[in-house]
Amino acid sequence: MSGLPRVEAVSPLGRKLSWVIAGLALAVVPHVPHLSLWILVLLGAAVAARIVTELKGWALPPKWLRILIAFGALFGVLATYRTLNGVEAGTALLVVMAGMKLLETRSVRDLTVIVFLAYFALFSGFLYNQELLLLPYMLATAWLLTATLMRVHQTTLAMPIRETASLTGKMMVQALPLAVLLFVLFPRLPGHFWSVPARSQATTGLDDELSPGDVSELSVSGAIAFRAKFAGELPPPRERYWRGPVLHDFDGRTWRRPLPFYIPQVVRPVGETYRYRITLEPHQRSWIFGLDVVTEWPTTAMRTSDLQLVTRRGAISTLTSFDLESATHYAVEAPLPTAMRNAALRLPQGRNPRAIELAQSLRASAASDEAFIEAVLTMFREQEFYYTLEPPRLERDSVDDFLFNTRRGFCEHFASAFTALARAAGIPARVVTGYHGGELNPMGGYLIVRQSDAHAWSEVWIDGKGWRRVDPTAAVAPERIEGGIDAALSADEPVPGRLIRNSRLLSSIRLAWDAANTFWNNQVIEFSESQQRWLANKIGLDVLGWRELGVAMAIALGAFFVILTGYLGWRFRPRVRDPVRQVYEELCRKFAKASLPRYPHEGPIDYLNRLATANPKNARDLSEARDIYVGLRYGPSPNPSNLSRLKYIVNRLEA
Amino acid sequence: MSSTSSSHTAPTTALPSRQPLSRRLRERIRSFSLHPRIRRWTRKRHGIDPDPLTLPGRRIYILPTGLGVTYGFMLFAMFLGAMNYGNNLALGLAFLLGALGLTAMHHSHRNLAGVRIHSAGCEPVFAGQIARFRVAIENPSPLPRYELTVGNDVGMAQPERIEPNGRTMLEVKLPANKRGLLALPYFELATRHPFGLFRAWSVLHPELHCVVYPRPSAPGKPPPLLETDTGGAQDLSRGDEDFAGLRSFHPGDSPSRIAWKAYARDQSLQVKLYAGTEVTSHVFDWDMLAGLGVEARLSQLCRWIEDAHAAGHAFGLKLPGTHIPTNVGASHRQRCLTALALFQSDERPAES
Repeated sequence: MSGLPRVEAVSPLGRKLSWVIAGLALAVVPHVPHLSLWILVLLGAAVAARIVTELKGWALPPKWLRILIAFGALFGVLATYRTLNGVEAGTALLVVMAGMKLLETRSVRDLTVIVFLAYFALFSGFLYNQELLLLPYMLATAWLLTATLMRVHQTTLAMPIRETASLTGKMMVQALPLAVLLFVLFPRLPGHFWSVPARSQATTGLDDELSPGDVSELSVSGAIAFRAKFAGELPPPRERYWRGPVLHDFDGRTWRRPLPFYIPQVVRPVGETYRYRITLEPHQRSWIFGLDVVTEWPTTAMRTSDLQLVTRRGAISTLTSFDLESATHYAVEAPLPTAMRNAALRLPQGRNPRAIELAQSLRASAASDEAFIEAVLTMFREQEFYYTLEPPRLERDSVDDFLFNTRRGFCEHFASAFTALARAAGIPARVVTGYHGGELNPMGGYLIVRQSDAHAWSEVWIDGKGWRRVDPTAAVAPERIEGGIDAALSADEPVPGRLIRNSRLLSSIRLAWDAANTFWNNQVIEFSESQQRWLANKIGLDVLGWRELGVAMAIALGAFFVILTGYLGWRFRPRVRDPVRQVYEELCRKFAKASLPRYPHEGPIDYLNRLATANPKNARDLSEARDIYVGLRYGPSPNPSNLSRLKYIVNRLEA
Repeated sequence: MSSTSSSHTAPTTALPSRQPLSRRLRERIRSFSLHPRIRRWTRKRHGIDPDPLTLPGRRIYILPTGLGVTYGFMLFAMFLGAMNYGNNLALGLAFLLGALGLTAMHHSHRNLAGVRIHSAGCEPVFAGQIARFRVAIENPSPLPRYELTVGNDVGMAQPERIEPNGRTMLEVKLPANKRGLLALPYFELATRHPFGLFRAWSVLHPELHCVVYPRPSAPGKPPPLLETDTGGAQDLSRGDEDFAGLRSFHPGDSPSRIAWKAYARDQSLQVKLYAGTEVTSHVFDWDMLAGLGVEARLSQLCRWIEDAHAAGHAFGLKLPGTHIPTNVGASHRQRCLTALALFQSDERPAES
């Protein structure tokens, strides 16, 4: 805006245009990371073209050219996103439309339409990102867009920018209470009106396959995977295993696929159970990372044969919470179904021969399956195996290479090797991926689990006892399980966030910020029927249905109307600033009550003379009042001290 | 607002069909608010308004504009999207913008309520011209009023801002088609402040009249012969031959007779008086125009009066039942033309 050369050269529309462009730009900025480059270039070109035509006074591009560009852009969006449906394609289309509309802005109406499109861009920004940090920016943009809307509709040019800003700011503040009430009171519907297309964007997080190096890659990310708030006691740190995809198929290097079939599992929790609420960051998968084995879950989720919890509603693309109950240990009493047993024993033909040989010899010398497991763990513990974030690359037969050559690895190397050895020894085994640990935020009393807590471990089937968790990483690096990744790795390994965690101040700032975010996530982003119910209980309502909410909304709306009308009426009330007139009007009122009102045509002299005639006992006062008033009002040099005399006379006059 | 106001200047009845649908639709919505039946009803409901009138809130109507309806659809789309994605912040934004719209509605209403409307009269016009009724809008509040405009289905005036305790003068236009006393049946006081999403308006029924002179007929017919009066300065019908002295200025005197030199000398307006042997004057007589219809006669008289006034000649007027003695000056012209305007009509000019 400041780049415009001479202000008088810019037409009124041009000046409004600069506001509209600024508002549109601010609304599009949050979309920059996920918009195709060509769309941003197109928008930039449209803005530049429009500014140039305005400054040079050129004609806008002809209609055929605009239609051509618009169709080209439409096909471009279609080609880039393969659809016009969904948030990404929709946002792209919105931005393209705003750019195209900019090229044909001739009237206030066109400008308004662009402001509306910018509002929509702001709206779709929330579909991508609901972070607390973004909120001030979004509110400021909404404010600017609203101010733009007002400026666009000003036909008189005189309104200063400050006045526009303060007037729209006041209006937003006046609107806010109603917006909050509607937000709180509006009934929340479970589910969607139409299916929400999954977002194609890659996010960091666990995958449904595991190759050596996958988890260590994740470990450099400090991004939050989920948070868990426990109703009672927290499980001890060593038991904090959060179950993700369970993998069965092994090709000698990579573990893939959970079980492709469904066999309901009956599980008996062993020991304590924990109740908690887990809030997952969007990860575009359907997995819910419950604490090891989930024993109770809402109807919106289901438990697979691998005991993994998944949603019934497709990918988690927004922050989502679930109330769960879990046990850290469990037993399965039924025998292992054959299909599952076969899947948990399969090994690729001809791969990792040395490992198979090792397993078979270890099993031969062990008295039982459990003794074999102990032997393998002892091997990891006592021989020269190292736990490191930067292990060397493994050859094609990754287990052989790891066990007999490199001997340096991260959790996935140990879990993969252990599971392969167990299978070779004839023990059904599987790889479980997920997270382990979590940082306790004392300010919010919840656990934060980050991508760097990603972990892989094994489960083996012990006949008569069921699945038993075995974590080979615990054998080689017990600190990892007790104290998290920082403790397990040597000081020179690059662990994300270690610097922050080592500084007490930074650490507490980070935790406070996370607590604020969590409050925001749980109370605002995840605001739902349960919060509504809780609020209703607070004010003493124990039933809460659509009817109650509807009545409450109607009351809120009515109160808003009454209060705003009253407030604006009070702000706009005429104020008599002229004290002389006030006193005179007081006098007129007094005599009007005594049925001697002033006639509309009567001046003060005529009126007061008439009053004096009608009121002989007050005649002296009235004529003095007349002289003082006329002197104050019309005299060549009014004496302000006469005003108090006039007030005195009017006060003592008895009509 | 340029697009909408330009559309209002065209009479609503004669809309060219090539206008875009949205424009026609908006005209429809607008003309609905001015439907004669509704207008008659509002008039019956309110009666003739006092002058000045402090506009009470209950006299104000408010409806969303086309843009306001679009805004509503946008909010609904946002609402559906937010509910579908279960996205609370998006829902919050939709509610905030919705509440903002309702707040804007209140501001729009309040922007009109409580203003004082004074009618400030109307200059006489000739039939076929457009009468401009002046309306003074006063803002007695300590906050400014934005984007106020007046008008009717002929057109809306350019919106104006009125500062606290300030006032502004706006014009309502009405075509004067025939001579007589043209009453302004109604006018609207309207605003689209703050966002153009709502239009608040009030229909006012003022006691406002405009004198419409007959349309002057085409020049051509020569005026009746001049009467030459050799008398002195004894009566008011003076020629402009010999300077006879000065007298003080009265409103209505021809500017060409003001003694500017005298004004420069002692700062008082004086008018030059002339006396001469040839004081020329006309008497325009109704009876001279036998054979023409009533309106044609009035038009011809009007033409003569205009010509004589332009030439600075004195003239008198004789109509059946009315005789205006010979005189000069703007107020004399006005008196004669008003007599023509109101000839054989029941109406009397409003007292001014």
